Amino acid sequence: MSQHRAFTGGVAVVQADGATVGQIIDDLEANYPGLGMALRAGSSAGIDGEIHAEPEYVPVTAETEIYFLAPVVGG
Amino acid sequence: MSRTHINCIVNGEPIDFLAADATSLLDALRDELGLIGTKEGCGTGDCGSCSVLVDGKLNCSCLILAPEVEGREILTVEGIADGDQLHPLQQTFLEGAALQCGICTPGFLVAAKALLDANPDPTETEIRYGLAGNLCRCTGYDKIVRAVQEAAVQLNSTSKQGV
Amino acid sequence: MTATENSTNYKWVGTRPIRHDGFDKVVGKARFGADLDLPGQLHGAFVRSPHAHARIVSIDTSAAEAMPGVKAVVTGADFPALDPTHPNFDTAVNCMARGEVYYHGHAVAAVAATTKAEAKAAAAAVKVEYEALPAVLSIADSMAEGAPLANPNNYTKFAPPGDPSNLATITNLARGDVDQAMADADVVVEMSFDCAHVHQGYIEPHACVVDYGDGKANVWCSSQGHFRVRSMTADVLGVDNSKVKVVPAEIGGGFGGKTTVYLEPIAAKLSEKSGKPVKLLMTREEVLRGSGPAPSAELRIKIGATNDGELTAIDGWMAYGVGAFSDMAGLIGAMSVASYKFPNLRMETYTALTNTPKSAAYRAPSAPHAAWAIESVVDEIATELGMDPIDLRLKNAAVEGDLTAMGMPHPRVGLVECLEALKASDHYQSEPAEGTSRGMAVGFWFNIGEESSATVNLNEDGTANVITGSPDIGGSRASMALMAAETLGIDVYSITPIVADTESVGFTDVTEGSRATFATGKAVVEACEDLIEQLKARAATIMGVDVGEVAWVDGAAVSPGHGGGEGGDPLTLAQITAQAKRTGGPLAATASLNAAGAGPSFAVHCADLKVDEETGEVEIVRYTAVQDAGTAIHPSYVEGQMQGGSVQGIGWALNEEYIYSADGAMENASFLDYRIPVASDLPLIETIIVEVPNPAHPYGVRGVGETGIVPPMATIGNAVKAATGVRMTSLPMSPPKVLKKLNER
Repeated sequence: MSQHRAFTGGVAVVQADGATVGQIIDDLEANYPGLGMALRAGSSAGIDGEIHAEPEYVPVTAETEIYFLAPVVGG
Repeated sequence: MSRTHINCIVNGEPIDFLAADATSLLDALRDELGLIGTKEGCGTGDCGSCSVLVDGKLNCSCLILAPEVEGREILTVEGIADGDQLHPLQQTFLEGAALQCGICTPGFLVAAKALLDANPDPTETEIRYGLAGNLCRCTGYDKIVRAVQEAAVQLNSTSKQGV
Repeated sequence: MTATENSTNYKWVGTRPIRHDGFDKVVGKARFGADLDLPGQLHGAFVRSPHAHARIVSIDTSAAEAMPGVKAVVTGADFPALDPTHPNFDTAVNCMARGEVYYHGHAVAAVAATTKAEAKAAAAAVKVEYEALPAVLSIADSMAEGAPLANPNNYTKFAPPGDPSNLATITNLARGDVDQAMADADVVVEMSFDCAHVHQGYIEPHACVVDYGDGKANVWCSSQGHFRVRSMTADVLGVDNSKVKVVPAEIGGGFGGKTTVYLEPIAAKLSEKSGKPVKLLMTREEVLRGSGPAPSAELRIKIGATNDGELTAIDGWMAYGVGAFSDMAGLIGAMSVASYKFPNLRMETYTALTNTPKSAAYRAPSAPHAAWAIESVVDEIATELGMDPIDLRLKNAAVEGDLTAMGMPHPRVGLVECLEALKASDHYQSEPAEGTSRGMAVGFWFNIGEESSATVNLNEDGTANVITGSPDIGGSRASMALMAAETLGIDVYSITPIVADTESVGFTDVTEGSRATFATGKAVVEACEDLIEQLKARAATIMGVDVGEVAWVDGAAVSPGHGGGEGGDPLTLAQITAQAKRTGGPLAATASLNAAGAGPSFAVHCADLKVDEETGEVEIVRYTAVQDAGTAIHPSYVEGQMQGGSVQGIGWALNEEYIYSADGAMENASFLDYRIPVASDLPLIETIIVEVPNPAHPYGVRGVGETGIVPPMATIGNAVKAATGVRMTSLPMSPPKVLKKLNER
């Protein structure tokens, strides 16, 4: 699969493989144990400029930028 | 527990009900008479949601004991309109979006009616102080003040009196 | 007044009809949470902890159970013990303590009796034995080395497994090289700030009536989200969602504070045990002692700038105090830093637990605290540089593509347009009135999407029912009707918008995060678009043409070249529904979605005020709120959100605070002493709606409910600085605190 670029909480830049956000998370978990669970617990992602809640099956390509975000709720 | 038999006039109609001496007028209106328009926001006379007129005077019904209204005339929000014919205050509140959640609206309508009955042409400052006993958390009071101003204009310009 | 880049001419969107639910609200017929009575109902009352932190040694309910009229008593033991990792574990424990109480006011037991007075007397007769434990009562105490644990079930989130902690989150965001940029900066300002707890202050106390029967809890309550009430209540009771039905009452204010449950599971269990419906309310005192305030905060913000006004670096340390349960306030606070380009950024933030009530959301949670600090420092920089405060912000304002603190680029946003609108406004173009001084500040909120469902049913006569599951907290039903009217092309008063119960409409997330008009509106529009396809197909049948030749224009089916109906006229919606039975049956459509693409909303506020130097009292003389609404569906209710948020912020700025005793008990738990603004405290709140449409919504909607509370505190702090030369750094800026600072000059 092609390379992807993802930012995790604005802290570090990592690369991961996958065709959906969920597969990206699995790949990150394989390389950084515990990160995957943390990413799924914080379950929103900014994908190409739009924020998605629970993006498990959102498809991604080589050009997709993913920002893993804490779930913003509001009041 | 003993209860007192109370006779009074509510919204123009003779009414009688039973209430324990420690029952507030607010609870009696809501629980005995089913008039749920008057609200409890605090129970301590600080928010004005329970505003009613007793013999024409603005009061917090949570601070009045039910037996105190024996023989008196009470006006609640349910008595402001004339059937489907709304009072100008009710109409201007609707047109001017002077309510968002609406919980404080009955208290404001009663208080604003008392204000305009006593002072038909109030200044903005007089309106603000006249309504300072009523809390609203949604609107910031802006549209409420404007609605009262507009209702005053309408009431003063018509030859017929409102309710 | 509307400044708009949107040239679309709508027929219904943007108008100001009287809201459909308005009549009942002005004649006293609308039913809120406390306005339902069921035959034979009992009244509930709570027993609450007098300690900020204690172990429950024993609870003796025997005396209470023997009292007249008492039909049921419950304690934590009546509820299933959830695993601490369960998402609603904290909610369950907050509803009723299990072996340990975590704040003064924490519910320990509840009774149900035939009258309110009997319930109150019985609650007082419940004997609870406590063993006091060390209590953590401030952010500093919570974060101190070796601090006792406020809550032994809290672990730091998003971190490797470790020991229980007083910290719920530790967040570090960074980009660029902050230290180098600060060293290179021409001007550096660093200040510390703090905010006390404040309450959402909704006028309607929490209230519900629950009737348990046939294994099911039937709940009547007001809330911001009855589907969440259902799932939380079901989880606390340990049952399936299908065993809880929630009917939404009208809600008397929420502002985030009614996005959780306090009463419903307790009332359900009392009803189950007694076999009668149970009405359970909070008194105002209980609301203040037992429901969530907004977090407190301590913040240190350092900003570096060049002489020509570029804000090159921000270095922030923020700690939010969230009461006795886990929360993400610190993390959200860090993420809310989004108004300026800040090429170099570092945010170190914490969420700290204390033995005080569990925080709940309050309108743009965490953002007001951060903006209070950041906008005050930006103002100091403007003063040092001799720059107009709007011009400084225009130079640095975030635009599409600029990075937020979390590193994600902004979509299309309207901060620049809002700044320009304020600059051009009558308020800003006029000199401050004699004796007044001026301040301004900026605010941001993300807004959210999430899940919504909508059903639109066409009646036989061409009128329509629009059914959603979004509680209406500020006029959203009117907006749903307007969007449906616009899409279908029929009169807004032909539409009946309702909010249906959990068994009558599809799953819908909470009315929070400024999401209702955006996400539920999207679902309504999609359902209407589905109906239009159905209407066109029916029209094709009636006209005898191919459906591909039918268009929908102004509420009617038209088929150019073939005419339609009798005499060649278009077929109106009502003419089609009149033939629904002949053409296939009733016309109805449902849409459900997980809405992406919520558009952020920026706001810019300005205040002219005077400070009484003898008393420290601040009087606001003129106030303007500018905000980007995307598209204002119902401008009156958009203005209402802007004004309401402004005044809550004004209260937060000038007077509201929780005052705690040394033992952690709130000392001002009434509306007398927790004083929110009244009409005589305020001027009119001028509003300017800016419209930079959100491309991800069919009508360009951005949520507007929350951002309005973000700028007011700094707006006022900046004006106080202009008036007195004194920089207030502690909220509220109440008269004694202002006076003290004035005297220190």
